[in-house]
Amino acid sequence: MLDTKISRREFLKVAGVSAGALAIGHMLPVEVAQAAKEAGLLDASGTGYIPTTCEMCVWRCGVRAKVKDGRVVKLEGNPLHPHSLGHLCARGQAGLMNTYDPDRVLTPLIRVGKRGEGLFRQASWDEALDLVAAKMLEIKDKYGPEAMVFSSTHNLSQVQFENLLNAFGSPNYGTQRSLCFNAMIVANQMTYGMEEPARSYADLEYLILTGRNLMEAISTSETSILSHAIDRGLKVVYVDPRFTKTAAKSTDWCAIRPGTDLAFHLALLNVIVSEERYDRAFVEKYTVGFEQLAEEIRPYTPEWAAPITDINADVIRRIAREFSDAAPHALAHNGWRTSNFENSFQTERAIASLNALVGNWGVHLLPAAGEGAGPLGVPPQPPYPRASAMRLDGVPWKYPLVPFKLGVFQELRDAIITGKPYEAHGWFIARQNPVQSLPDRGRTLEAMSKMDFIAVVDIFLNDTTWFADVVLPEASYLERYDPLLVVGDKVFIRQPVIQPQGDAKSALWIYKELGKRLGLEDYFQYVDEEDYIRQQLAPLGVTLQEIREEGYVQLPVEKRSEIEYEWNTPSGKVELFSSTLDNAGFAALPTWEEPPRPPAGKFYLLTGKVGRHTQFATQNNQLLHKYQDEPRLWMNPVSAKAMGLADNDLVKVTSDVGEVNIKLLVTQAIRPDCVYLTPGYGHLSKGLTTAYGVGASDSVLHVTFTDQISGGQALSQTFVAVQAA
Amino acid sequence: MSEIGVNPNQKGFLIDAGRCIDCRACLVACSVQNEVSNTTTRIWIKETGVVGEFPNLERYSAPYHCMHCDDPSCVSACTVGALQKDENGIVTYDADRCIGCRYCMYACPFQVPNYEWDQMLPLIVKCDMCVDRLAEGESEPACAATCPTDAIMFGPKVDMLAMAHQRIEDNPDKYVDHVYGEEENGGTATFYVSPVPFEELGFPTTESTLSPAYSNRLITHGTPAVAGAVAIGLSGVYLTIKHHEEAMAELRNDALAVETDQPEAEEPAAETQESDNDQ
Repeated sequence: MLDTKISRREFLKVAGVSAGALAIGHMLPVEVAQAAKEAGLLDASGTGYIPTTCEMCVWRCGVRAKVKDGRVVKLEGNPLHPHSLGHLCARGQAGLMNTYDPDRVLTPLIRVGKRGEGLFRQASWDEALDLVAAKMLEIKDKYGPEAMVFSSTHNLSQVQFENLLNAFGSPNYGTQRSLCFNAMIVANQMTYGMEEPARSYADLEYLILTGRNLMEAISTSETSILSHAIDRGLKVVYVDPRFTKTAAKSTDWCAIRPGTDLAFHLALLNVIVSEERYDRAFVEKYTVGFEQLAEEIRPYTPEWAAPITDINADVIRRIAREFSDAAPHALAHNGWRTSNFENSFQTERAIASLNALVGNWGVHLLPAAGEGAGPLGVPPQPPYPRASAMRLDGVPWKYPLVPFKLGVFQELRDAIITGKPYEAHGWFIARQNPVQSLPDRGRTLEAMSKMDFIAVVDIFLNDTTWFADVVLPEASYLERYDPLLVVGDKVFIRQPVIQPQGDAKSALWIYKELGKRLGLEDYFQYVDEEDYIRQQLAPLGVTLQEIREEGYVQLPVEKRSEIEYEWNTPSGKVELFSSTLDNAGFAALPTWEEPPRPPAGKFYLLTGKVGRHTQFATQNNQLLHKYQDEPRLWMNPVSAKAMGLADNDLVKVTSDVGEVNIKLLVTQAIRPDCVYLTPGYGHLSKGLTTAYGVGASDSVLHVTFTDQISGGQALSQTFVAVQAA
Repeated sequence: MSEIGVNPNQKGFLIDAGRCIDCRACLVACSVQNEVSNTTTRIWIKETGVVGEFPNLERYSAPYHCMHCDDPSCVSACTVGALQKDENGIVTYDADRCIGCRYCMYACPFQVPNYEWDQMLPLIVKCDMCVDRLAEGESEPACAATCPTDAIMFGPKVDMLAMAHQRIEDNPDKYVDHVYGEEENGGTATFYVSPVPFEELGFPTTESTLSPAYSNRLITHGTPAVAGAVAIGLSGVYLTIKHHEEAMAELRNDALAVETDQPEAEEPAAETQESDNDQ
């Protein structure tokens, strides 16, 4: 078992103790228990359930938080929420341990030692915010607003983070998107004119999952629905070099060679077109470029794909026939990022085309329901200043098709290092951990070392916070409000279920207070968090009290309109041939791009999620730590034997940019030419007392490769040597 | 078994190894609900591990906790009445009565009662079907409520047993023809269906779980009117322990370490019983 640092029942007793709590401004947190009692959520003794929204991953399940004597004691899935369907995964269940983690940062911190030494002193909010604002204004005055880099990862208060950076006037914004789903999003935009069509599993008969490991990369409702669909007979083809827990539930597991998902899908297209198995009516009426596609994929026969993918030609042909036989009840899932190679964009284009050919639109692929602000109100604000300079991440001047919203974070990091086209001097980071998330940790630390000033908003001293000059402690998701979230036809709330511990504050409060000190007060026209939500609710005629009680409000249900057969593409149709790609000088049709292969003696380094953790954010959670396996490097016994390595041997893993030592797991569940390392471990921060010293970081090993079309990082294109340590 | 049909309030589990994805939400939920220490657990994952040779592989898993036997050996073995079977069929545990003797651990053919090896005054840790949670009005124990794939189902015991048989009947090619828990240890309130034989999941075999409760009861409760019963009972205890230890030796990664009091015995109690479930 992995060592634990907190004993029996103590996790429910850890109290937020802080020195010098300062009350500034009028945004004092509401007395949560009192308000909840008044709302009828808690009884006279302070016990009951408060509905809110999970934040242990980005899926945002609905939660019923059980509160007792001012403490949250249990979290339940909210059966009324479409993302949880009454369930929570292990991370969701462990959410209260994040809040009560003794490693929480509960007061602002100002660095006193060297960067990375971990020496901080406690400070008041006034002192910390004054310091951050002074540094940001100094950088703005000296170098222009573009010298301040802002970065943050998918969260509900991101809209106000973006408000802050836009008001400040910096064009430099880094998100997790290019490290995750750029290829998928851009491919869907080119093909369907939308970021990601919604999926329906109702009556689905045949599903192709290309690296989408839904049983371990859990999205509660989708995982649940898939499981039940399998139970009623759904056939699942699962394509992955690893035998994951999803592979174990699938009808077919295709142990594909990394980077060749594209060849597999091109061969499926080839069979479906050459055997005239496509939905002729749909293709003729609603797509453009079928003839060109048919011509393009003519060489991509199953026999061509077999030696590339290591999947038997007969198997590919059978899957193509079964898939088209099941049409329209067949679906090729676009996943998050498929194989993580530079050719992932083409793979996503092939998957999008495959769905179009079998005519599953309106049946299993639907117009995106869309999350976001929907019909909600927004606080008034003046227009933003013009961006002061070109973006450091190369959008659009180097990456013309990458949406501004997605960006190319790894390119931004590299521009900070080179100082080209100009130098950045400050970095404001909120709820993000680029030291772990970006490939090539050494380069990320180098970029941070170039900074005159770094401020981080987080609830822990994660690996990035560890290198900050100022740490602004955020309230955890169980302690704060965030902006409302529209999911389908409902609006959901995240509301505090307990008082913030110590001096922790909501992001809405932090951005407003910082904005005030930056002279940007007009951009933050809300009195406090509750006022913000009231302004959001105003157009709906719903009170804050109402949404707090139920956890959601129903939007007026519009008469269900027919599925529209018009897409937001230049032609208004599904673009098998993309004129946008063509005009930009890229391949307009899904086309084969040969991925690199590891040189002799090296392995593909694979990454992929485990069910207990969300990227690198949850390893310090003691409840997840308790039930997590020791992270090791997977290797097939054939390879291990050839190298004279045995299970549990300590090995040194070396890539072009770094090396780590880790114990070996010898397992049949991986191809002999691959190794796999559980991501998210190997933390640098000693402020993470549970996670520190466990496992190794794959970011140390990952080499930076960027797809020129979508800007996506190719996380599995790194090759490593393995030897006894 | 004996009580089915007598008390309609009897609750039970149906656990489907075909549905379990080894996500361990149930393990975490149990720890939170019952404030279980981070160094021990009431619930494990049993699994086959990755079986076969690349690329022809399979793996199955299932959560594993107290079976809530109809005639629980642990209740019989408990000299102080800390373990009881309540009117709803739940095998409850009263920490205030427990003296930490660990007789229940010897007696249980399923190796369920766990021990707080790291505590100064260690007590037993065992699933009680979230009896307090049910009393508060929740419809399911924490593990069943949260299970994202509904691999753990909970409801009236008769319904769970009927559903178990129905699943096998509806999918004879998918499941082995065995409802685990129906006969084991003389019958329980936790029923399993599985695509692979239960021994492969690491479950105790049917033979090793024939109820020793009767012989235990002779000892612990005493029946002076029966001449020679003590002697029979003693041999029963001996056989039970012997049998139990043999059964345990067969179990991979068994966590209970009955022969030792050493708390540093790798503390595997809080581990899932397979240490490489993710892998």
